[in-house]
Amino acid sequence: MEGESGRSIILTGATGFLGAFLMSGLLERGYHVTVLGRPAKNMRLSDRISGLVGWFGLDPGPRLSAIEVDFSKKHLGLDDETYGDLCANAGKVIHCASDTSFAERNRKQVMQANVDSLPSLLDLAVDSRAEHLYYVSSAYACGQCTGLCMETPIKNQRFTNVYEESKAQAEEIIRRSCQDNDVPLSILRPSIVYGHSETGRSLKFNALYYAVRSMLLIRDIFLNDIRQGGGKSKKWGISLDDDGILNLPMKICLPNKGSVNLIPIDYFVATVLRIIEHPGTSGIYHITSDNPPDITTLAEYAQRFLGLRGIDVLWNQSGKNANPNPAEELFDKLFEQYRPYLSDERIFDQSRTRSIAPGISAPPFTYEIFAQCMTYAVACDWGWPLDHSV
Amino acid sequence: MYAPGNIDSEALRIAKNCRHYAMCKIDFLGSGICASGLEKQYVSYFPQGRMDLYAAICEKAIPVTEQCVEIADSCNLCGKCDYQCYFVTEMRPSIVMKALKDYVDDYLANGGDIVPVPEDPILAEMRRIVGHFWATSDPAIGIAYHHDLCPHVEFKMPQYVVMPNSKEELASIIRLLNHHEIPYVVRGNGASAHGLVFSEGVVLDLHRMNTIEFDEKNWLVKAGPGVAAFDLQSAAARRGFRVHTAEPAALVCANIMTSGLLSTFSTTYGISADNFIDAEFIARDGSLFSLNDMKSPNLFSYQNLIAENEAFAICVSVSMKLHPVTSDERGILVPFKSLADALDFARECSIRHIGLAIGILGEEFISSFIAPTKRLAAEARDIFTRRLGMPYLVLLIGDTYALRSVNEMGYPVIDQGLFKTLYQGLPSLGSAKWLDLLDELADDEPFSYLKLGQFGDLAEMALAPSPAQMASDIDPDLRPFFEKLFQRPEMTDLVWLNTFRIQSARYNREKPTVGLVFYLPIDTALIIEIEQGLLDIAAKHHLKGAFGFITPFDNGKRCVWEYDYYFDHNDPDDMAKIQQAAHEAGALLDEYSAQTGTVRQVRYVVNRGCCRKENLLYT
Repeated sequence: MEGESGRSIILTGATGFLGAFLMSGLLERGYHVTVLGRPAKNMRLSDRISGLVGWFGLDPGPRLSAIEVDFSKKHLGLDDETYGDLCANAGKVIHCASDTSFAERNRKQVMQANVDSLPSLLDLAVDSRAEHLYYVSSAYACGQCTGLCMETPIKNQRFTNVYEESKAQAEEIIRRSCQDNDVPLSILRPSIVYGHSETGRSLKFNALYYAVRSMLLIRDIFLNDIRQGGGKSKKWGISLDDDGILNLPMKICLPNKGSVNLIPIDYFVATVLRIIEHPGTSGIYHITSDNPPDITTLAEYAQRFLGLRGIDVLWNQSGKNANPNPAEELFDKLFEQYRPYLSDERIFDQSRTRSIAPGISAPPFTYEIFAQCMTYAVACDWGWPLDHSV
Repeated sequence: MYAPGNIDSEALRIAKNCRHYAMCKIDFLGSGICASGLEKQYVSYFPQGRMDLYAAICEKAIPVTEQCVEIADSCNLCGKCDYQCYFVTEMRPSIVMKALKDYVDDYLANGGDIVPVPEDPILAEMRRIVGHFWATSDPAIGIAYHHDLCPHVEFKMPQYVVMPNSKEELASIIRLLNHHEIPYVVRGNGASAHGLVFSEGVVLDLHRMNTIEFDEKNWLVKAGPGVAAFDLQSAAARRGFRVHTAEPAALVCANIMTSGLLSTFSTTYGISADNFIDAEFIARDGSLFSLNDMKSPNLFSYQNLIAENEAFAICVSVSMKLHPVTSDERGILVPFKSLADALDFARECSIRHIGLAIGILGEEFISSFIAPTKRLAAEARDIFTRRLGMPYLVLLIGDTYALRSVNEMGYPVIDQGLFKTLYQGLPSLGSAKWLDLLDELADDEPFSYLKLGQFGDLAEMALAPSPAQMASDIDPDLRPFFEKLFQRPEMTDLVWLNTFRIQSARYNREKPTVGLVFYLPIDTALIIEIEQGLLDIAAKHHLKGAFGFITPFDNGKRCVWEYDYYFDHNDPDDMAKIQQAAHEAGALLDEYSAQTGTVRQVRYVVNRGCCRKENLLYT
């Protein structure tokens, strides 16, 4: 592996959503990127990466290499020679690999991926005398709180789910290790990331996408019923209006007003690159939106996009709909794990990010951006885009 | 011999794939039975026998005889066999029936001779006992008793087939055969799992001995050896009772004697001697005795050894227990992601006496039972295992109190209503994208969406289930019949379907199977270890092996497990593989039996089906 000092980067998580776009951004900027990761099913890491590079329309040549590693093993499971070479040419290290499951039943797997795998990664940072370690955490690692969340280490012990908890634990472990071993560290905390604000392209369709996908499928269930005579739909006051819009009375009950902090992937990449390229950037950075939309706006966007009317956001103390119709009951169930993020009262301080990346900010989340992203998701059938001609 | 110019290859293919289930001998669809079979009773007059007959004359294994001509003539091409066989195997036997008629017509039109079958003195003697028609040495009759799908025995062409009508006639025949030292076997319906039904001498077909006598005040029904499970169950149901039966076409007496009779209802009704009150036998010397005779042999005993091939006696009646039925019985399916979890639930229910019938069904059983065609079965397998993450479903039949208990245990369930929706909406399930979302977004409790109060309504709206949709994948000309059939409430009623088991033979629709059936404790580690061993054997021989079902019984102390190997009985390579695999699997289970002292194979129960389960399982 060759590369000039400061232009070599080791990247984990390059087969994930954030990591892949980051890899693309780094390559476009001329970096030499060494991807560390695992094979998947019957596919080698190099093949997975090749597929992604093709999807981004890049031809990085020798500036990109992929090494299959096992984070649960010493020296990443590599032989001494390969590990030695890796350390000798490491440069900067970006740790982007993460398990983003929220489900408590996946606790073991999430903790394993996000926390238990850290020692070998941190050893690499130390053994390679990494110029800098960048850890991609989450704005929500701050845990359950309201009001202003600062770009400081986390003290909270209450978390909404295992993902938040694992990210907070990981931050602490990495911070201490880097402190003890004099490895410069930056912790990058993005909020909820959606697709590209200009093209709508994305590699993952969770979070915001889940809500829209859930509504789309609920819509299709009722449209199917209406096509069959609509006996059950009528019972719930659900009908197809003359203008072709499905009248779907649906209350989304939330405990309090709040916002959904969404940023596009291009903003995330641009900010991270700015942080990486700025000298002396150790610290914690919130990569979030200044002007996050609220759920009412998102519901309006979803209705417009899906050809629906009747969705109503209600604020009440319990946040529960006492007598839900089938659509409401199913939506509540489908979106259960994301519910806490629909009326989020956390505000993210961005002072440090602003100081490093002045002039870069997340674009306002307009309907046009929303529609573009959702159109892309539909074209991908909400699945892995590389499996679709999009 | 006449060489036919035009053998219908499609008909021959169908004929050689007959599964020998004898489902065409029972009116399980209410469509009626083959009229000639009903009148003439020999298997050859039923569609199953005509399949064998057609294959045999095409391959010149037997000549065209008088009865061959009569069998061909007696088919009126009514098409009932298509309904019945298609329901189970998706095959169209009427193509074979037509080909048989055409073949014989062509043969005769071209001057082919009808080969005479002379009567010898022994046949004449037997005819004097049972009547002229009911004893024969015509190979057109014998061919239907010559083979089945059991891969590990040598087939034999019987010299005679005899159909006595009473135990007295049967006793006389036995005495006659003893006198002439002619070997004989008794043949029940359908395929023989153990292959003990072949003889070069006489096959005794007891199909005519089909009396059913109820003694309601003593809660028993006495069934003759020719009574099929479906017919007995139907008769009991008409009087408001249930009997414990297994496969619908199985003859009840034979079923008890050869396997001890087990089903998902074994959870409550038990196995072997639990099933009956008394039984009558004709000993090999022709004498009659019953279980309740003080001097009768101790048939309740059990030894864990392969029994002699020849039965010690012939069971000529069994007095089955009648069981009460309550009007609030319902069926549910409880989904599980792992066998271990399914076993925990089934064990718990059995120990606590929750539910009348319990069965852990694997993906093969789930998909083949629920789907009316092979194509839909493959789709259902994918949906239930991969998309919904339900490789195991526990079927539980119970009354209001039992189902309430399951609810209180906190398990998400597919209730009767949702089952009907999934069943009748199966063709739409494949394209139901919301299913994927359900599994993706299932939170910390798998299948918790099933607990949504209105999930049933949503599923109904999404799938638009209907008998027409259920029949949409069926051959167009059969659709009207099946659409009407699927409208009948019992066709979607889990209680009825599991009581009458008319879908159970569907698991052999794709290929025949060798079922390894054995008793063992509900020990998760042991079960998973044995499953791996059986799977390894299947993989070694390039055969498909699949978990069939497990039913807990005897208060959760034991369970019965069927594990299946699939093979193609028309492929010599597959036959060699299955023989070897079945042998190795038997040896593996013997090892576990010796090692644990608790594993018992049902193949050792053959001819000991009267044994007490306590002797079978705990000694």
